[in-house]
Amino acid sequence: MTAVLEVANLRKSFGGIAAVDDVSFEVREGEILGIIGPNGSGKSTLFNCILGQLTPSSGEVRVDGKPTTGLRPCNLNRLGVSRTFQLLQVFPRLSVRDNLVLAGQEHQGSMTSRLFGRADAGLGRVADRMIDFFRLSHLAGEEAGALSYGQQKLLDAAMAFMAGPRLVLLDEPAGGVNLTMLGHLRERLEAYHAERNATFVVIEHQMEFVMALCTRVLVLAEGRIIAQGAPHEVRRDPAVIEAYLGH
Amino acid sequence: MIRPATIVLVAAAAIAVVAPFFLKPFGIYLISMWAVLTVAAIGLNLTIGYAGQVSLAQGAFVGIGAYTVALMTQAGWPYPLAFVAAGALCFAVGWILGYPALRVQHHYLAFVTLAFTSLVFLVLRNEEWLTGGTHGINGIARPVFFGWSTGKPLDFYFFSVGTLTVLSGAMWRMLRSPWGRAFVALRENPVRALSLGVDTRRYTLMAFAIGSSLGGLAGALYAPLVQFIEPGSFALGLSFNLLLMVIVGGSGYFFGPFVGALVAVLLPEWTRIAQGYYLLIYAALVMLMMAVCPSGLLGLAARAAKALARRQLPALRAEGAGR
Repeated sequence: MTAVLEVANLRKSFGGIAAVDDVSFEVREGEILGIIGPNGSGKSTLFNCILGQLTPSSGEVRVDGKPTTGLRPCNLNRLGVSRTFQLLQVFPRLSVRDNLVLAGQEHQGSMTSRLFGRADAGLGRVADRMIDFFRLSHLAGEEAGALSYGQQKLLDAAMAFMAGPRLVLLDEPAGGVNLTMLGHLRERLEAYHAERNATFVVIEHQMEFVMALCTRVLVLAEGRIIAQGAPHEVRRDPAVIEAYLGH
Repeated sequence: MIRPATIVLVAAAAIAVVAPFFLKPFGIYLISMWAVLTVAAIGLNLTIGYAGQVSLAQGAFVGIGAYTVALMTQAGWPYPLAFVAAGALCFAVGWILGYPALRVQHHYLAFVTLAFTSLVFLVLRNEEWLTGGTHGINGIARPVFFGWSTGKPLDFYFFSVGTLTVLSGAMWRMLRSPWGRAFVALRENPVRALSLGVDTRRYTLMAFAIGSSLGGLAGALYAPLVQFIEPGSFALGLSFNLLLMVIVGGSGYFFGPFVGALVAVLLPEWTRIAQGYYLLIYAALVMLMMAVCPSGLLGLAARAAKALARRQLPALRAEGAGR
């Protein structure tokens, strides 16, 4: 199987400290890769380097074999890479439906055709299907800011899927979500994955969530990969236990 | 059922058509000024209210537009061409002014645009060979379209209001296209918008360029309305005044600039009896409103409508239960 995402010798340092230190890995099509590690292990920095929010100090990122290092986030997104954020990032004053249309509209036509074209950029049905899929139908017309935290998390995920991405990076999707909502979110992610054979990379603290969702897990500590493998293997790895409980 | 907002809108449009027939020339001049300033405020509302980019430069664009039209028509160019040129020039200059907004935001951006306004004022005042310096430009003719002269106040009013109608219609259409959604996304959360493929850089520049171009078109109406322009009219005071119109009316509300410009044009006249104190009264009213309702008069109206609906709802329910 082909690698959707390749990260090669990626390094990012702030001052003298290497937050990400020579990290290399691949994500194959249809995989759900979990990235775990203690606080400050470089997970978010790694994500931001992959997504073009930070420029890596050295190393390369490739999507479908194409180098994407230094590409602006909006252009990367149009190549089929989308993300969710650790802290909530919806557009509070737009309706749920408009949040979703926005998440897909820049993939439709050109700047000019969007100006003169239809208000929903022809995405009305796709948005409604996504609203149904994440079971937000009763909230479609509400302003996103009026939704509960868990509902906004669902909307956030739905937005990441709106343009039918090839690769989705989820930054702590379980953070701050209650258990019922978490089960619901996991089940929806699995359903989407099964339906589209989409590729996910998930950063997460919530171990149960990672172990249940991911097909492979990669463990970071102090900016380096210290272990990787199937979830149950990684959990027993002495280096991982040391990193989490250690010193 | 017809929505109350529609009724208000139709009534307002009817008043705008009928009112000038009952007004003296000075009254017609005032409502023409309202139409002209509304065009500029609509542009600023796009930049600030929808796209969230602070600008204290709108008055300068009105000046650039006014001088473009005055100079071109006096050099013998036809008015429609000068009108389009004023809009196009301000679009281009606005686009360039947008670049600092890609680097700085909020009060820093306010300072950059403020400096630009001072710069334009200095150019208008000092480049006498082109602008006539402090003497300004006199005797700007009102345009004639296919034999229809807009020389009389009533005719010029209908020309101004017609232009306002066309331009605000175009703005309405744009804000309802995907662009409108992208502008709001830029205001609400630029980082998230960028990650969803929204080219925030291009939309920021567009928000400045289109907003500024409306400032220029307002200037293209201003010059033949007043028929005399001088640099002082386009100094910082006008930019602040336009900003105030957007905020007082309701920033980010489509009809906010219409209401804000009306307040800005009429209030000084109504408080004229208070003579020198009228600015004081205006300032006090603005401060009071910002404290009570920062979302402006239309924000206040929206809040009142919501409260009213909430009060009516239980009453309706009780009625239903009684049946």
